[in-house]
Amino acid sequence: MQMTPLDRGFTRAVLRIIPTAVLLAALGLLLAASDFLAGDYIRRIVIGIGINIVLVVSLNLSNGFTGVFSLGHVGFMAIGAYAASICTLPVALKAVNLPALPGWLSGLALPFLPATLVGGAVAMLVAFIVGLSLMRLKGAYVSVATLGFLVIVQVVLVNWDQLTRGARTFAGVPPHTTVWNAWIWAVLTVYLAWRMGRSPFGRDMRAARDNEIAARSLGISVMRSRLLAFCASAFLTGVAGSLWAHFITSFSPKSFFFTQAFAIITMLVIGGLGSVSGSVIGVALITIVSEILRNAERGLTIGALVIPPIYGASQILMAVLFVLIIVFRPQGLLGGKEIDPGLIARRIFPPTRRRDGPPDHGKDAA
Amino acid sequence: MKTRLALILLVVAALALVGCGGKGAGGNAIKIGMIYNMTGSQASLDSPSANGARLAAKELNAAGGVLGRTIELVTFDGKSEAATIANSATQLTKSDKVVAMLGFSDSDMVMAAAPTAAKAGIVFVTSGATSPKLPDQVPDYLYLACFGDNVQAAAGAEYAVEALKTKTVYLLIDKGMEYTLLLGKYFKERFVEMGGTVVLEDTYQGGDKDFSAQITKVKGLKPVPDLLYIAAGPDDIGTIVKQFRDAGVKKPIMGGDGYDTPLLVQIAGAGAENVYFTTHSLMDASLGTDAVKKFIADYQAEFKAPPENAFAGLGYDTVKLIADAIKRAGSADPKAIRQALNATKDLPGVTGAITFQPGSRIPQKGVTVILVKGGAFTLAQEVVPQKVPAP
Repeated sequence: MQMTPLDRGFTRAVLRIIPTAVLLAALGLLLAASDFLAGDYIRRIVIGIGINIVLVVSLNLSNGFTGVFSLGHVGFMAIGAYAASICTLPVALKAVNLPALPGWLSGLALPFLPATLVGGAVAMLVAFIVGLSLMRLKGAYVSVATLGFLVIVQVVLVNWDQLTRGARTFAGVPPHTTVWNAWIWAVLTVYLAWRMGRSPFGRDMRAARDNEIAARSLGISVMRSRLLAFCASAFLTGVAGSLWAHFITSFSPKSFFFTQAFAIITMLVIGGLGSVSGSVIGVALITIVSEILRNAERGLTIGALVIPPIYGASQILMAVLFVLIIVFRPQGLLGGKEIDPGLIARRIFPPTRRRDGPPDHGKDAA
Repeated sequence: MKTRLALILLVVAALALVGCGGKGAGGNAIKIGMIYNMTGSQASLDSPSANGARLAAKELNAAGGVLGRTIELVTFDGKSEAATIANSATQLTKSDKVVAMLGFSDSDMVMAAAPTAAKAGIVFVTSGATSPKLPDQVPDYLYLACFGDNVQAAAGAEYAVEALKTKTVYLLIDKGMEYTLLLGKYFKERFVEMGGTVVLEDTYQGGDKDFSAQITKVKGLKPVPDLLYIAAGPDDIGTIVKQFRDAGVKKPIMGGDGYDTPLLVQIAGAGAENVYFTTHSLMDASLGTDAVKKFIADYQAEFKAPPENAFAGLGYDTVKLIADAIKRAGSADPKAIRQALNATKDLPGVTGAITFQPGSRIPQKGVTVILVKGGAFTLAQEVVPQKVPAP
């Protein structure tokens, strides 16, 4: 059968989608298994991985793609978490825990999705305002400036106690986050980052990252590309903050400070900057390892060997792991390269060679 | 590629190992969840509490357990951080399926865990968190094994007025903790009611390291106030006392059970002289009741050091309280435990007897006022306040 170029294009498009579709189907099965079959403990780890993927991939969007190494992104997570939680907190609890809220807020109780979008939107707005000045800086300066931003967010959260209960625990957040909505956001984030990275816009960002002067000479607006990436990344980080808040249900401003910031950066660096699939693998690895360490911290009994509880051990070990990776493999596990499901599929099922033109009569020819 | 594969396999193997390894004890044990902050700002109060709790469990098991079954304390480190605590609470209720929970010496920490326990129908007994608002914030399932802040603040105010003849007070409050905000509020209410005057009220943020601003304002006060009431947590009080004393403020300082930490004398040194505070009991082998003497001796034998503060005794009493409820309930069913707990009457303890009046989940316990003299905690007075501000 002779294929027209149109048929060939269509077939190729379908073939290209198949590896991704298979991957998504496998993911769906794994998620269903963890939701319905596995115990609550596994389910919590799976949700944690999903939320961390949103966090780290969105951070990659800003740090890896544009080269703006933001150390203060956790500030956006905090903004998203608090904004969304204030929206979803039931009215009765608001009266007890947040008695000084302004009238229009104290009667408000939004469902999960609108509140999450509000959280992301507020974070994005703050990112835009802050980014207008921050994105002019480069290198180490912008990193320190974002750290300053994180401290500012912390101070505002601690002192604006009418809105946030100050340094005290913000409890009673309804537990809306499930395996499904966390992972839908994770898949969305990965897709967004993937497409952005492969678009001309993504190439602009990478050009600006690699050589700013050369990029400018080509007419690329460095400020615009950086600001857009920063805002998009802040929106997704705010969403992750809301997901996290409705997962953990109790938090305080201290939950969004240096400890959390470096936890996320650790996952990012270990997976590899600029690589979306690297981030996903880094997240899964670090989440599982830190869960193991957290349980091991309580002391283990393996047969006859008894290891006594060593509290604080998990934090020390994570720090050691981070230092080892920085020293021996600073480009991260994947080294900035991507795992392309299409590429893997083509290695497993190599396409048969077909020359363009009339169908192959080689075998039948005399 | 091979090292990466090896790393992944190692991680999976370790996960499997820990999954099987951690759940040691016998299948028939009664599991009680325990969350204390072994690291972080609350560690100096929670570590002794955890030790006291473990001592109680050990004693119970040595005497044959409760209802013939051993008590197993499933422990988590809260790291003085709300998110870790919330995670641990969920793990305890959903995975470990404990029948009761205990923990914490701070009200904010309790709020991170108790709602989860309540949702799972499990009682949470806090050994040392003293906010009298807690039972209202988590209805039906949150119990205190200690007195409320309104009680200790009233005791402090009455002691200051009657024993120390205080007429004017400077009030300094940590605005970062529910505990200190409430303590300061109740003290002011009772003190003013008794005819005293608060000449100046100031705040600081928990974790602050420099108090020169507050000290300057105090030194500028004319006339000098009779007493400084400082509502502070265990991690800050040593620094505060040291700085105030170094600046030449010699008047007595008073506070609540947040002062009951070895850090006070360790950090403030000689400055800790003439500091008063209200707490749950004095761990002194020569002055205490028989229960206190026995507890000190047992604690010393088990942990090779005397109990650091009253919180050790509170942890001990809390485990005994839960065990008593289980025994009277005749089963380890969480609902039955709650019913039995409500009916607790005159249960003797190291830190005092515990009775839950109908409808109340805070026991009426006496307050011990401690004076720091000669670098050691000495007994000033045992006080039962005559009038207590409403929560």
